[in-house]
Amino acid sequence: MRVFIMTEMHGRDLTRRHVAIGLLVALPLSFYLASAGSGTSSVSAGGVGMAFAVSGAALFSILSSREVDQRLVLTGYRPVELLLGRLLFLGPLGLLISGLFSLLMALLSQPDRPWVMALGVALVALESVPFGLAVGAVVPQELEGTLVLIGVIGLQLAVRTDSTVSKLLPFYGPRKVLAASLEPQGRIAVPVLETAVYALALLIIARVFMSRRVNIERHDLLG
Amino acid sequence: MATQLLASHICKQYGRTHILEDVNLAVEAGEVVALTGENGAGKTTLMRISAGLLRADSGTVQVGGRLGYCPQIPGLFELLTADDHLVMFGRGCGLSREEALSRGHAILGEFDYPLHERAATQDLSGGTRQKLNLALALLGDPSLLLLDEPYQGFDRGTYVNFWDHCQNWRRQGKAVVVVTHMLAELERVDRVVELAAHPSRAHHRGVR
Repeated sequence: MRVFIMTEMHGRDLTRRHVAIGLLVALPLSFYLASAGSGTSSVSAGGVGMAFAVSGAALFSILSSREVDQRLVLTGYRPVELLLGRLLFLGPLGLLISGLFSLLMALLSQPDRPWVMALGVALVALESVPFGLAVGAVVPQELEGTLVLIGVIGLQLAVRTDSTVSKLLPFYGPRKVLAASLEPQGRIAVPVLETAVYALALLIIARVFMSRRVNIERHDLLG
Repeated sequence: MATQLLASHICKQYGRTHILEDVNLAVEAGEVVALTGENGAGKTTLMRISAGLLRADSGTVQVGGRLGYCPQIPGLFELLTADDHLVMFGRGCGLSREEALSRGHAILGEFDYPLHERAATQDLSGGTRQKLNLALALLGDPSLLLLDEPYQGFDRGTYVNFWDHCQNWRRQGKAVVVVTHMLAELERVDRVVELAAHPSRAHHRGVR
């Protein structure tokens, strides 16, 4: 399937960016370690750091290959295949990093429910991919995209979890799950569902704008 | 001979600037057409519209079959190798991995591409990148080739080789449109289409 070729090639492209791979791990780690020991905020900071890293990778995978993407569509790919190819690589990569990161956070922060914290970090990673893809598909250039990422994720970190603004932002659900991991009780089904719905909406946005961006005219055949 | 490209009454403007105004272009199978004109005349715009990468404000384009497009600036993944590109683009054309590599290596070999080279494209010279760019356009065995100054960075030998290949493609029945500023080579094409940088741009003059 052509989707898997795209997955393979994006995988090769990213794994050859050794500095970027290092930063993908270092960024959430530094966010977390900088605020380690401060309870809820350190876990939130780690999760948000994960959002910066993974959504940044997704953003650049779209914006750095705009010209090539349109040419690939000209050769026969469908825009959705280009999108899914990236998703299938970045999603598992995000999960892998989140797994390692959760292990570290579980040891250092010792949450009441470690598996809930792991779930929260995984949700951040999973939602970051469609978020980065959507921003990359909507904005025209890297600079604008980076500023949007910084703005949205920074705002998510700055506002109180239960504020109205926070509820409108993409990582509200994962942040609730992360907060719930520090308490012995607390429902997580609703925030998980909210995250799924938000991620699906972001994917649809990415799909629509990606199609518009790389779409080509299929000319009528002569004769 | 069957017509492979028929662009009719193409108009395109960016903002208030008219780039193309009522431009017509027809290219037959087995014909090599040179598209010339001064900077800003709209050559690349016409090629992109003909390829389907850009929408014309008005006018229609019809094609005779599969088209291959070689852009002026190679759009490549900087950290992927030539083989990676061949597999990826070949898959889009419906080729298997093996077919894409086999056909791609044959094309690259014709242009003296260093096939032993396994470097990422960012480490290739400009001319070598351009050879890969051209090979990707040819990979799907198109009946219509749209080549936007495809020889940028070629050394003298490869440049001459390129024009020899144009003759081969003509003999194979392909329709070829080459954007060029190389006036010395215009005698090697069947027809020159000059785009003028003012309204009513399309002037055609036969060379052969």
